[in-house]
Amino acid sequence: MNRTRLIFISIIAVAVLIVAGSLIWRSATGTPVDAGLTVERPETVTVRVIVALPVEPWVRDAAERFNAANKQVEGSQVQVEIIAMDGLTALGRWDRNDFGALPADTTPDQISEAQQAELADFPTAWIPDSRYLVELANASYKERLGRDVFLTDGQYRARPIAISLFTWGIYASRADVLQEALGEISWETIHQAATTAGGWPALGGDSAWGFFKLAVPDPSKNVGGLAAMIAAAGEYYGRTDISVEDVTDPEFQQWLGELMGAVTNISGGSAYTAEDFALFGYSVGDGGQLLESDLLQNMQGVLTRWEDPLVIRYPEFVTWFDFPFTVWVGPETSALEKNAALEFQRYLLSEDEQAAALASGLRPANPDVAVTASDDSLFVKWADQGVQQVVPRTTAMRSPNRDVLLALLRWYELNVTK
Amino acid sequence: MSRSSQNRRNKKGGTKASKRRSWLIIGLVFGLIFTGCAVTSVLVGRQVLDAIFQREAITENAAALTWAADSADLTVAVSPVMAPILAQRVDAFNSLSQRTTDGQTMQVVLTELAPEKMVETSLGQPPFQALVPDSSLWLNQIDQRWAADHPADSGGIAPRRVGDPTRFAISPIVLAAWEDTARSLGWPDAPVGWAEIQRKAISDPNFKWNHPNTQHATGLLATLAEFYAGAGLTRGLTAEIANQQSVLDYVRDVEATVRFYGEGEDVIVQRLDEEGRDFLDAFVAQEQTVIRWNESHGSRDRLIALYPKEGTLWTDHPLALLELGEPGETAVTDNQRRTFAAFGEFLLSSESQGAFLAAGYRPADVGIDLSASGSPFAGTDAVDPSQPKTTLQIPSAQVVEVVQNVWYYTKRPTNVYLVVDTSGSMAGEKMDRTRTALQSFVSQIQGDRDKVGIVEFGSGVKRFEPLRTLNDGGRNQMLDVIAGMEADGYTALLDAVWQAQDDLQTVADGEAINAIVVMTDGQENDSYRDMADLRRSFEDSRTPVVVFTIAFGNDADDDLLEELARIGGGQFRRADETDIEELYRILSTYF
Repeated sequence: MNRTRLIFISIIAVAVLIVAGSLIWRSATGTPVDAGLTVERPETVTVRVIVALPVEPWVRDAAERFNAANKQVEGSQVQVEIIAMDGLTALGRWDRNDFGALPADTTPDQISEAQQAELADFPTAWIPDSRYLVELANASYKERLGRDVFLTDGQYRARPIAISLFTWGIYASRADVLQEALGEISWETIHQAATTAGGWPALGGDSAWGFFKLAVPDPSKNVGGLAAMIAAAGEYYGRTDISVEDVTDPEFQQWLGELMGAVTNISGGSAYTAEDFALFGYSVGDGGQLLESDLLQNMQGVLTRWEDPLVIRYPEFVTWFDFPFTVWVGPETSALEKNAALEFQRYLLSEDEQAAALASGLRPANPDVAVTASDDSLFVKWADQGVQQVVPRTTAMRSPNRDVLLALLRWYELNVTK
Repeated sequence: MSRSSQNRRNKKGGTKASKRRSWLIIGLVFGLIFTGCAVTSVLVGRQVLDAIFQREAITENAAALTWAADSADLTVAVSPVMAPILAQRVDAFNSLSQRTTDGQTMQVVLTELAPEKMVETSLGQPPFQALVPDSSLWLNQIDQRWAADHPADSGGIAPRRVGDPTRFAISPIVLAAWEDTARSLGWPDAPVGWAEIQRKAISDPNFKWNHPNTQHATGLLATLAEFYAGAGLTRGLTAEIANQQSVLDYVRDVEATVRFYGEGEDVIVQRLDEEGRDFLDAFVAQEQTVIRWNESHGSRDRLIALYPKEGTLWTDHPLALLELGEPGETAVTDNQRRTFAAFGEFLLSSESQGAFLAAGYRPADVGIDLSASGSPFAGTDAVDPSQPKTTLQIPSAQVVEVVQNVWYYTKRPTNVYLVVDTSGSMAGEKMDRTRTALQSFVSQIQGDRDKVGIVEFGSGVKRFEPLRTLNDGGRNQMLDVIAGMEADGYTALLDAVWQAQDDLQTVADGEAINAIVVMTDGQENDSYRDMADLRRSFEDSRTPVVVFTIAFGNDADDDLLEELARIGGGQFRRADETDIEELYRILSTYF
């Protein structure tokens, strides 16, 4: 055999050995066989945003406009996908780690291809109803991973995209009778109405109205239901900071139980109570404390369907929702996805989109946009029904801690739904 | 040895050594190549084997319902009352051939199911990903029972089985009554309530009314109203109150006036069409049914929607996605979620909302004015879009369950004979399916006062099992009788029916619903009695007996069975091997 042949055969042998050696190495270290050796820059990056129900219609429309604008981040086109979910339901899913966050000290390159594929659906960002839900989710992950997964400062910090507050929404015909009989609308007035044995006739109303019916979202489906109960506790105790001791006090629980006895549909309680006002009218609720934006969105529908307008009254103890846009900072999503999420966040805070939020009855988070900024601002349209551009002097309820929330949920489960 | 030969030998020896070295190198190289190939083969082969084993795992799991990871096909379970209009909307949606971002065509498939059955199925491994029961209260039952089976860790937030629903069309539940009946109850001058209907039913033996069984929202509401009236309340019903003897007695008295239960208002409307207004004076239905009836029958026989003054319930037809994906359960795919969202959006489009309004529903788009010109609510006093003014309080899911269970003990009892053809033509799959269907029927009958008997016929009556209460022992005995059925002989259909009718007349239980369910696959050819005998017997009977007939397959005598159903004031149905079990299950809801 001549030298040329020997060299040729040797080169082939070495090549085969390199391939085999490489396969053995990858197999031993768990590196996926078809993992690329170059940095990939996808053509499209998808941002999955879990969005609380009150802002979902606006955010979904905004996402469609954003997608249509072909926005780019680091050379990749950004597409936003909206997942509507009540804040409390989402918190439960974070708590149970339903989305599949990786264990501490594990990164995506250390897991199998199949596990990586599962991470493809991991949410990039979350817009819950209130900042305190973010704090609760963080607390849960801190226990599990030893670190925050949503940041409160820095580039990826949670930023409110709109705000709204809980107000009284009552059918005008009922509000007149109630105020005449019991005075200004408050939780105490509502409690008296709820416990009046003779129902509406005893209060001076029409016998066809039956008993006073309280509209409260089911707290297990809508965080607004919990907010209403916390606001009721605030007024009951005359303070903003509510503890577990407060909500487990037997006297308070009896008072709350009497109040909840006026809820009409305990079994089919809806997450969308203001929408229920418009759909089912006064048959399911004469009034209740609901999110201002929800009420404003349904004012026209109520008028069209039932010819008896809603009036809005502001309570003394107010619960605010600030809808923080919160980016997941764990390794489950890439830096590109996080930056794309920030791009969408900036888009939502733009003046045009903040003005668009007014049409959903939301108060802009961008201070440069006034509540009267657009022609179709619901704050202008329904001023005669009691909505106020500047919220009157009220006391803001403080965010309750997890134990208070769970205690109230447990009470509701044991005393109302069972 | 010469020098030259030595050189030759050396040269020869050197050449040999050189050749040996070459072969050694070549051998070494081929050895390395072989080793390399072997290692590669093992690694690649392992992946192939992995893939094969994975495929096998899926095949092993084939019994469980599954779909492709990128499937955009969405199966939706829908209640019977909403099925017809929703089927039209599904066709319209599918014709759009919308695509997901990865190019899959979005398709929706409907499957019809009673709401209570949806609850049961959703808690297991359902053959659907989304559902449209007639009321949200069923969704709550699913979530409550799911949470009880899957408690959250350390009192945390309970998991939910059902996602946030979308409502696209609603309708209040009303008492539908003929105009003269409505006037006799006080309409339009005075509000009419559940109490008036119940009083009328108890005091007037000629008053015929009906409500579906508690598997439907309409039936459940009517039953709840009876419990409330019995307790003298309009809210605050608890399990303890529902179980009080005085309440149970009241409900039993009212239920004794119900003509029959059955599948739901769609079947009632069909019967009214067939038998005219004498069939019933009033029944519980959606407001939409009243609109639909009046539109198709003009002003001659007009129905009036009475909105009960104590309060009513709404059917809100929520479209909801199930959060499937438990261990061993195929999860809902992203594409199915996209189809769900697109379908929900489609149902809220102006085209679909217009279609729901035209069908007599109140569309979810509250911008649509119900009293506007062209609306089926405009220009009529048969329905009132400003009603209802109040609702009856719907208690918790647990109290609702108690009411459903207690209802079986208060409802009108049933004496039903299953008259079953086991002639020679039934041999094979027909007989197997029949046994399964009969067993399903016996299992569905749940009241402790309900009795079932069996008349098995071929060449004459082969076996007569008298009425037996379906307690545990009675039920098992009936199941054994059914399991022992064998096909042979001719078809003595009329003799078998005669014997069942004769026994019901002998028992003469006027409080109960007395019924005969007859099934045959062939022609009458072996009876001593004839149709004239049977006709006389039904005409002369003191205890009313209702007859349901089933033509199994294509060879049955439809005319004879239709005539039997007619003289027995019941229904004639067709079935084959694929749906005989479902038909018996449906018929069981009549009792």
